[in-house]
Amino acid sequence: MSSSRLVNLRTARQVKPMLSLDRAEARTRVINLYKAWYRQIPQIAIDYDLPKTQSECKKKLKEMFMKNKDVKDIRIIDALVIKGQMELKETVQVWKQKHGIMAFWAPTVEPKPKDFMGKFLDGHN
Amino acid sequence: MAFFGLDRVSRFFNLIKENGGFRQSLYKLYRQNDLKSGTLVGTDKLGNKYYENNEYFLGRNRWVIYSPSLGTDFDGSAVSPAWFGWLHYKTDIPPTQKEHVQYSYIDTTPSPNPTGTNKAYIPYTTGKPKIQAWVPPTRS
Amino acid sequence: MLQAGSAVRGLCKAIRPSAPIVKAADKAMAAHALPATLVLSRSQSNKPVVADNRVEVFVDDIPVMVEPGTTVLQAAAMAGVEIPRFCYHERLSVAGNCRMCLVEVEKAAKPVAACAMPVMKGWRIKTNSEMTRKAREGVMEFLLINHPLDCPICDQGGECDLQDQSMAFGSDRTRFLDPKRAVEDKNLGPLVKTIMTRCIHCTRCVRFASEVAGVEDLGTTGRGNSMEIGTYVEKMLLSELSGNVIDLCPVGALTSKPYSFSARPWELRRTDSIDVFDALGSNITVNHRTGEVLRILPKTNEDINEEWLADKARFACDGLKRQRLVAPMVKDSKGDLRPCEWEDALIVAATALQEANGSVAAVAGGQADAEALTALRDLVYRLGGQHVCTEEVFPDNGSGTDLRSNYLLNSSIAGMEEADLVVFIGTNPRYVVLVLPCMSPTPGAWCWCCLVCHQPQHLGDSSATVEQLCAGTHAFSSKLAAAKRPMIIVGQALLGQSQGGVLYAKICQLANKLRGSVEPSWRVLNVLHRVASQVAALDLGYKAGVAAVRQQKPKVLFLLGADEGAITRSDLPADTTVIYQGSHGDAGAAMADIVLPGATYTEKTATYVNTEGRAQTTLAAITPPGYAREDWKIIRAISEVLLCVFNVVAHEEPMNVMLQSVGAARVDGSAVLRPALLQLEDYYMTDVVSRASPTMAKCIAAVKKEKSNRYHSK
Repeated sequence: MSSSRLVNLRTARQVKPMLSLDRAEARTRVINLYKAWYRQIPQIAIDYDLPKTQSECKKKLKEMFMKNKDVKDIRIIDALVIKGQMELKETVQVWKQKHGIMAFWAPTVEPKPKDFMGKFLDGHN
Repeated sequence: MAFFGLDRVSRFFNLIKENGGFRQSLYKLYRQNDLKSGTLVGTDKLGNKYYENNEYFLGRNRWVIYSPSLGTDFDGSAVSPAWFGWLHYKTDIPPTQKEHVQYSYIDTTPSPNPTGTNKAYIPYTTGKPKIQAWVPPTRS
Repeated sequence: MLQAGSAVRGLCKAIRPSAPIVKAADKAMAAHALPATLVLSRSQSNKPVVADNRVEVFVDDIPVMVEPGTTVLQAAAMAGVEIPRFCYHERLSVAGNCRMCLVEVEKAAKPVAACAMPVMKGWRIKTNSEMTRKAREGVMEFLLINHPLDCPICDQGGECDLQDQSMAFGSDRTRFLDPKRAVEDKNLGPLVKTIMTRCIHCTRCVRFASEVAGVEDLGTTGRGNSMEIGTYVEKMLLSELSGNVIDLCPVGALTSKPYSFSARPWELRRTDSIDVFDALGSNITVNHRTGEVLRILPKTNEDINEEWLADKARFACDGLKRQRLVAPMVKDSKGDLRPCEWEDALIVAATALQEANGSVAAVAGGQADAEALTALRDLVYRLGGQHVCTEEVFPDNGSGTDLRSNYLLNSSIAGMEEADLVVFIGTNPRYVVLVLPCMSPTPGAWCWCCLVCHQPQHLGDSSATVEQLCAGTHAFSSKLAAAKRPMIIVGQALLGQSQGGVLYAKICQLANKLRGSVEPSWRVLNVLHRVASQVAALDLGYKAGVAAVRQQKPKVLFLLGADEGAITRSDLPADTTVIYQGSHGDAGAAMADIVLPGATYTEKTATYVNTEGRAQTTLAAITPPGYAREDWKIIRAISEVLLCVFNVVAHEEPMNVMLQSVGAARVDGSAVLRPALLQLEDYYMTDVVSRASPTMAKCIAAVKKEKSNRYHSK
């Protein structure tokens, strides 16, 4: 066990880790999750009869993971990994429906306007 | 025969025969999703034919084959009031045996279900609107 | 007991208005007129506390030092103990007839009525003793003898003093088995609903009507069990403050007619706000439910409206739901206004403003808020326009509106009670700024020219009278000169007329002359505005009056809630584009080419400045209906469209200083100074909201009908 890891351990203990004790461990978990998703993609595409090619699905998978690439807090990474795991299980077990998967491509909720004119025309205060 | 299940084969061919041959049977399957054989109890003004076959379960033993004039665009509202009671087991006496009582206040011509058309009923509020808008004066 | 200079408001409330109102200095008369137990706590609190003559009393063994003459109830309040009461009210005279405030005083033979009994030195008051509790329970039992048990259908339910106090202090059963008495309901007009069987005869309404509202219509008849509150004869409660008796009534005998059976208090959400129906800026609480304003109640503000509210502010809220502009509208090729999308309306408006090439003017109406006024002013100036005006007129002679003190009620509303002489010129404070009459006696005698508060006197109704006053030749001038704290209150009937500038300048000179003889901090000259937006508009550099716009004949005229017809289509060239922004469809929207739906004061968070220059903020209680938006946002949206589409470059702000000397202008002495609002029926509809209100229409009809009543006092 290296000394830096010991320091990390100490700080991690102070804030009570979720799963991982350091970044390396968290990174391993993320990559494992990614691989698990990656392997399931052909089956998911068949199960849900997705009108998408496998390469499109893989691209979307990468995009979803890269969305959180700037997260640094180990506990948040762990929380995201747990949520990703739950999502994977729900998807593989076909607890979801097709539109639940397709929502990754087209979000059903339109983003709220942020500028003045957008809010004015939209009727938001 | 019945032991080997061969009677089903003869029954199948009988069914095809009763429904007017292979071509007609295929059309009826396409139109009604079902092939049934039974005795014709009667026909109403529109040309709908009412059948009965008590070998089927209760609930499936009386049925209507809609008039060919309706094509594939038929609807439950085409059943005439006289036959409605018999078809829905309100009575076992079909209007062929006992004349259906006509009331002057009941319209006997069936109107098709307007769902999906312009005439479809759309509920609207009958309450007063909370805000009464200003209506600008018009010149024309 | 009465302090010198303790003044108008206190006196007027304490003394029956028909009695000659005394000058503060006239102590003998004051003592005669005052009930023996009356304490003007408010004026006392203004005085430095003199420790020597205070007496010590004990409330539930808590020692309190109080002024002599303080009542038991007030002493208890100082100790933090609230004694239950029905008839006692801080701002009304003491009646002492409900007996609910009975408390035990040690070594006293009987329980004493706390509201009417002045404390003595060393008294030990017990507000929670066995005797006190039994006394309260007994009084409550008596009160409930004739009170119907109709709380489930009573509008007061949930905010009823009797309900609350019978739960807290009453018995859990009754011993009364006889039939209850019933009283016939009185018809007090379209605002106050009466269910007289519920009345417990606290006489708060009677005292309010005679002491504050100044109408002697209400009174009691009969004695004992057959006592009734009523108007003696079949007549209406003709007062513009009548709604306050609803708040005062501790039971459900007087309730609000427009609000009856519409909601329970616990269903309502309450938002504190500011009233904009007059220039007083009364504090209000907007009661609303499911995006609908149901009623408006006053909120206590000692410096402005105390706890009263005028009827228009209270009952015109149903006008907020009628005749509303709910979508932007643009004129089509036939010349009819057609609803459209905001995008279209904004583009059309921005195009018109851009193509006007600087020939742009704006007129602001009476309920415009300071934020929208600022945004509109900046927009017009940026486009190169010269004139931003208000509908209300104010003379621009002399320093005009450059000095803030020229157009404010300088003495402040609360400061009015310090005055010993008030002259109203060209205004009828009773209907212009309600609640001011609370401070003035005999409202029945309101005159249009001059009025002296302590001895109301009609000095005349022409500008010649003003001239005489200014010159010092009027019979009244000597009194005015002798006054220690005189106030001259100038109103719209003087300021708005053609010679208003000259007369106002003369009054200014008179005020300056008077200031020489009064204490330096006292301000003599006061202006009483009619509308809520005027002071803010003048503060922001708006020009009073639309004369400049008439002369300029602009290509685009922007009306910000201007509906009073100060400028009409006939004043403008045919090709002028009129943009109207406001909440209601009225004269302004009818003459407009583009209509932009704005918000009313209950729907926006906005700033208003009242006639004394006090900036206050309304809070948005509900959202604007349909596609209506907050006003400053609409103007900003136009600016953004101008910026994006036309890339408008800001112009330099023009100089708008116009100084003219008064000179020796001659005054035509025959000009009549009649305020527009002289009769009660004139009062109810003065702006777009009240014009749209069915309740206000009913009030006018009722008041007109009342005139044919043979008991109607002329």
